Amino acid sequence: MPIMKLLTLTVKRRLRTVLGLVVVATAISAVTVALTAGESAKPPTKAVKKTVKKKKLTGSELYAINCNRCHPERYPTEWTPSQWKTVMLHMRVRANLPAKQAKEILKYLQEDAGN
Amino acid sequence: MKKRSLFFGAVAASCAVGVSLPAPVRAAVSDDDFNSLKQMVQQLGDKVQKLEQVHQQDQQSHQQDQQKIQQLQQQLDQTQQVATNAVQKAEAASQAPPAQAVPSGPAARHNFQLVGDAETEFGRIQGQKSAFAMADFAPIFLYRANDDILFEAGFDFTLSNGSGPTANTSSGTAYNFDLSFATVDYALNDYMTAVAGNMLLPLGTYTERSAGWLNKFPDNPLPRGLLPSNGIGAQLRGAIPVGNNGQMLTYAVYGANGPSSMDGTGNSSQLDLGGNVGILNNSLYGGMTTFDNLGNLHSNPSGGGRIGWFYPLKAHYDLELGVSGQTGEWNDLGNNWSALVFDASLHLSPYLEVKGEYINTWVDTTDLGTIRPNGWWTQAGYKLSGLNLDLPMINNVELVGRYDRTDDVLFGAKAQRYTAGFVYYFTNTLLLEGDYEWLHNTGSNAAQIPNNEMLFQLSYGF
Repeated sequence: MPIMKLLTLTVKRRLRTVLGLVVVATAISAVTVALTAGESAKPPTKAVKKTVKKKKLTGSELYAINCNRCHPERYPTEWTPSQWKTVMLHMRVRANLPAKQAKEILKYLQEDAGN
Repeated sequence: MKKRSLFFGAVAASCAVGVSLPAPVRAAVSDDDFNSLKQMVQQLGDKVQKLEQVHQQDQQSHQQDQQKIQQLQQQLDQTQQVATNAVQKAEAASQAPPAQAVPSGPAARHNFQLVGDAETEFGRIQGQKSAFAMADFAPIFLYRANDDILFEAGFDFTLSNGSGPTANTSSGTAYNFDLSFATVDYALNDYMTAVAGNMLLPLGTYTERSAGWLNKFPDNPLPRGLLPSNGIGAQLRGAIPVGNNGQMLTYAVYGANGPSSMDGTGNSSQLDLGGNVGILNNSLYGGMTTFDNLGNLHSNPSGGGRIGWFYPLKAHYDLELGVSGQTGEWNDLGNNWSALVFDASLHLSPYLEVKGEYINTWVDTTDLGTIRPNGWWTQAGYKLSGLNLDLPMINNVELVGRYDRTDDVLFGAKAQRYTAGFVYYFTNTLLLEGDYEWLHNTGSNAAQIPNNEMLFQLSYGF
């Protein structure tokens, strides 16, 4: 194998490895942020509360934003409150939903759940 | 009583009139007057008789009413006695110790749930006869142990047309059973979940969103064949909310066995994207087949991950972008298999959706050096209900189109495909997909891939 070709192959392999490492490193960074997010997600101070008025999305709004983008709408009456709890835990993992959003959506679905 | 009083009153008045009248007056009463008076007295007598009969009837009914009242009184007494006894028994029961202790605490936390989908497919490939081509049942079993722990397992039972015993016939059926995934999920905190087991790999988003009633087409995009769909390993995944509009950063990082070699060599034709589960059972030692080798076909597992960004402008208006990849050895010769996937999804109303993926892979091989199977696909769908036509059949239709292409260097084939079709929604989870696919093949093995085809698939999500 000519030296130039060998060098090119080696460079390409290294580039791929670097690319792979970048993806994995980015993912790990996100994991690190997530691990520390629990601490940083403490309630804001009074000063912050005064200056920033956050509009919290309702369960029905979060449902419309997150659920319909992957599958047709499922009606609250299709399952019982307990069944919705199981389905929402499944969807929280599958759709990468933050726990608080998942809980709001669950509350919305359980309000009109079937028997 | 009133009638009788009237009668006696009248008689008394008549007598009084007769006594009080002077003799000349009595002498002056004519026969006619007397007769009329007599008749009147007789009529009054008749009335008295009728009134007496009525009075007797009233008395009889009164007696009957009295009897009924007495009976009701007796029944009421009995009822009161029963109620009194019941109260006494209840009080006695409440004071007595229970036979068994009643468990206290919250309601049941465990829950078992079945979801999934089922499909049946009808197809006609150019130059062949049409047929019902496939029946598929893909249940997902969910078991929630508590608020943070979930076990989920997805199966795939498929019955499809099989190859016949001779070259020119196609008969019989082929039955396939797959464990699509089986994982234990444990929510570590609000932003992270640990997943372990046979995982759907987050290389792009298609694998996790490709159930028959979700993907809008009866078949998969061509370049998805370049990637493994699942792997055994462990994963950390979750999302970090950004702002207050539902925006979030999603992530997944995992280690899995990854692709492997079918025969231990590094030849390009022996790449097994399905990988293995880490245990070999066909190792030869001294000419004997042994089943106790816990080694792998490659010494190191693969690592991978995905980073995604989801930005909703408002409900049904959102953009999702993601980049994912995996890299690792696929045989013991130090050959690597790597993949890089870019995915995007866009919603511009409740009716319009556009999404796609770009996939590039690198395969180090012994015979061909490094090869780069790659491809990309994009698809769009528009629900006709967005046109506000007053036609119920039309409002249930979504028109779909797809373009996908792949350069599968491993098998010496390049293909590009145009697909046009529809989805008819009978309900929110029962739908009919139909499309026509124009397939153009080039490359040394192009003839092995079928050409144009028409497919229909009835899908049900449950």
